[in-house]
Amino acid sequence: MGKALGSEPLGKVIYSGKRPRRRREWRGFRDTWYDYTRWLYYLFTLGKFMMKPNNFKGFFRYRWMSNYLAVPDFMDRHTEGLRGTQLRLAHEAIGLIIIDMTISLTDMFRADPEIGNDVELSKKMVVFDENMMSTLMGGFPNLKWVSYEVPAIYTSSFMCQNGVMHYVDKTHEYGVPTDVCPMPAAEFGAALEDDFPLIGACAIQCNTTCDGSLMGGGLMARSMGIPTFQLASPIRHRQESVQEYAGEEVLNAIKFIEDHTGEKYDWDYLFSNMARFNEETKEFLEWLEINKSPYPQLLGATLGFYRYGVYMAAGGRSQIFLDTDKKITALATKAYQNKEMACKEYRHRAILWGVQAAYYTAFPNWLMNCWGILPINDMLCCVSTEMVSTTDKHQALLDLGHLYENMIMRNRSNGGYETGVEDLFRICEQMNVDMVIMYVHIGCKAMSGYHGLFEEEARKRGIHWIWVNHNLMVPLDGTRRDMRTEVNRYMRTILKEEPVDASLEEFDDSLCW
Amino acid sequence: MKDLKHLYYFEKLLDDTYNDLARAAKEEGRYAIGHVCFQIPEPLLNLPGCFSVRLRAPRTGSIEMGTYYMSSTLCEACRAYLERAIEGGFNFLDCIIAPDACAQMNRCVENIERLDTNPNKDFFVTYSDVPMKSDETALKHYVKQMRVHVLEPLHEKLGVDISDEAMRAAVEQQNEVSRLLTAIGDYRKCDNPPITGYEFAVLCLASYCCPKDMIIDKLQDTLEEIKHREPNEKKARIRVVMVGSEIDDPEFIGLAEECGALVVADRYCFGSLPGRQVIELNDEEDVLTQICRTYLEWGKCPRFFNQDKIMERREYVDKLAKEYKADGLIYEQIKFCDYWGYERASAFHVMAEEYGYPVLSVDRPYAVRSSGQLRTRIQAFVERVEMKKISAKKQEGRIS
Repeated sequence: MGKALGSEPLGKVIYSGKRPRRRREWRGFRDTWYDYTRWLYYLFTLGKFMMKPNNFKGFFRYRWMSNYLAVPDFMDRHTEGLRGTQLRLAHEAIGLIIIDMTISLTDMFRADPEIGNDVELSKKMVVFDENMMSTLMGGFPNLKWVSYEVPAIYTSSFMCQNGVMHYVDKTHEYGVPTDVCPMPAAEFGAALEDDFPLIGACAIQCNTTCDGSLMGGGLMARSMGIPTFQLASPIRHRQESVQEYAGEEVLNAIKFIEDHTGEKYDWDYLFSNMARFNEETKEFLEWLEINKSPYPQLLGATLGFYRYGVYMAAGGRSQIFLDTDKKITALATKAYQNKEMACKEYRHRAILWGVQAAYYTAFPNWLMNCWGILPINDMLCCVSTEMVSTTDKHQALLDLGHLYENMIMRNRSNGGYETGVEDLFRICEQMNVDMVIMYVHIGCKAMSGYHGLFEEEARKRGIHWIWVNHNLMVPLDGTRRDMRTEVNRYMRTILKEEPVDASLEEFDDSLCW
Repeated sequence: MKDLKHLYYFEKLLDDTYNDLARAAKEEGRYAIGHVCFQIPEPLLNLPGCFSVRLRAPRTGSIEMGTYYMSSTLCEACRAYLERAIEGGFNFLDCIIAPDACAQMNRCVENIERLDTNPNKDFFVTYSDVPMKSDETALKHYVKQMRVHVLEPLHEKLGVDISDEAMRAAVEQQNEVSRLLTAIGDYRKCDNPPITGYEFAVLCLASYCCPKDMIIDKLQDTLEEIKHREPNEKKARIRVVMVGSEIDDPEFIGLAEECGALVVADRYCFGSLPGRQVIELNDEEDVLTQICRTYLEWGKCPRFFNQDKIMERREYVDKLAKEYKADGLIYEQIKFCDYWGYERASAFHVMAEEYGYPVLSVDRPYAVRSSGQLRTRIQAFVERVEMKKISAKKQEGRIS
């Protein structure tokens, strides 16, 4: 019990089978103090957020807001077992996402006609689909990008495992089959329940991740009450013949926003944002280089959450993300040089492929702490690392088109065998991994369609392949415990290994946030 | 009604993907072009020296292998097609021209390709990106995709003539079939139609699965026969428009009709509305663009997600229901289809609440032949619509 990695039996200390934790994790004085001050900081941030009358009203207006009561617990989950630099990296990266979220929510509630009713602000807002990059907004200095589906559904379900099940149920009650992906289903349910703010001058929707997502968005447009544009990004995005269309669709979206807001697209402003975006990409590439080494530093949820924030939401428009990027690089480089470990023992290096369970984003931490499986990279982070032109308008449009084709998740669920299967084994080789944790998101047809091919390819290459079933936002269909059991069985029966921390092999967290 | 003279002939053609006519065409040295979706315009696959075959898996039993490769949560049609490919049922094909229209069908074709199911060493597969909107930008993209991923591979790999003249000839051939099917299908508008939905589904389906030129004479005979055919004395209990995803087995239509719901309009994938209308060509614009525009306008798949298309789909079903004097709508989908899962749910509310139609919304397995559950649901729907008709008559004072 103390400073050393793996010095506490986390399963016994933290999980009692009840909702509240018994006590905080002891990580030695320095790390515990750091962690505690950060924890207080999040509590302070939430308190400050709630002090604003609009936010207070928003809390009682929207059912999904209650999920954010679990923010401090969310941070605890994603720092479980971490020490030293790993702990700091997690707080730097994930902490920033929390802060950014409070800013975004504050704006939303201010503009919301039922709360702050700031009409002028609302007119300056352009609503984007969830799972859609904000990047093209980098050319509108006077407009605000907003995606209310993100705080309402996406991050809500990260905070609390049952957080959006009510909305999924509503969609099923409406008649949508239960086999569709719960994410668009939850979004559609929230729209049916009138649980989104009616804000914005116009909205851009996109064929983002999958067929279900596209359909949910298309039907939701009706409830938004504002003009909507559907940006159709090519599906077969590796083909040269589609790139021009991808760029033209981005241009069409820009024109639509101009028409409905009266703003003109500022290419110089876009270029300055894209220069920042490119810098961020370079930082990300540094992290991947470190992760290829025997001492990887940016792992699991830390990498996953932060990449989502930078790549999809910030889109080069915020200096604080680049500053944090640099800070992360500095910390990670130093830790790599010092050969710092992320968990007690490194046994396997794994790629996490498929879609992670939104209700169990701390699963990679468990993999490390329980079995010494290092989540080296995650499918959702394997997105474009191409630079965007900062001088040529036509090229910049093509580059933006390329980015929209390569949004998180969609770049793997679409594009065919090359992107879904071949790339995985190429990345396995690059990152020097011996194991793939394959998330089987029950509602995701795109990845399930490769089931047999995945197994055959993994067998050919001698890569350990662990299927982990879940249903994204519906934990009842594959609980956190079920997910762990699938790994436990493989580790015990196939690899004949003993856990690094035996207390984590079997515990009950069904009542946890 | 007396059986149609050629019905058994057409039914037999549907029993196997590699049917007698496909075999005859292959023996003539023509190329068999497999396709899986409406989004690839059929005339492009029926250029001189080619004939198109829309993939199906008739008489499907077990789909274990398809399920292993694609998992149990994917569309059963896709799994059945893969199973059939693994069994060698599509070995006669020279290529498959596929759009990336829905993820599940795309995975099916990718598995067919990657598992080397076809022993023909020159066999190839192409994938094209087809638009999800119907504006001018999308049309330009569509034309380019059809040129790059359909016409050019056919020309380069099989030496097919892809000139404007060849395309015009293919369009004319399809138009001839479409004119016949439209003429036959129009009889479904009669108060007491001399053709059933099942019979029409058989004829229409054959036009997707056989070399078109080889069925024209039988379709002409059938049209002549229907002109003088005496309908049943007893009218069907209700008339419905069938709307939804792929129905590549007319048994489902037969099942609905056995329950008393005469299918007067077929607005489903493999149906004739749209898809079996005449493609009008002018001399001003290039032929490929005109063909693509027609298919873009025809497209009623829910994957078109722009609002105009969403509204258009509903209006179209409403128009069909009025034109074919339908009493209700049946929205169906093969289980696990994301597109139709949402479309069906939404239509269930919109078509009932805003357009005033009784709507039955069902998902179904791929093979329906013995589904008692479906039968019960359709029977209940028929009764519901009948009750509604009776109460309407009561309100009008026509019965007491």
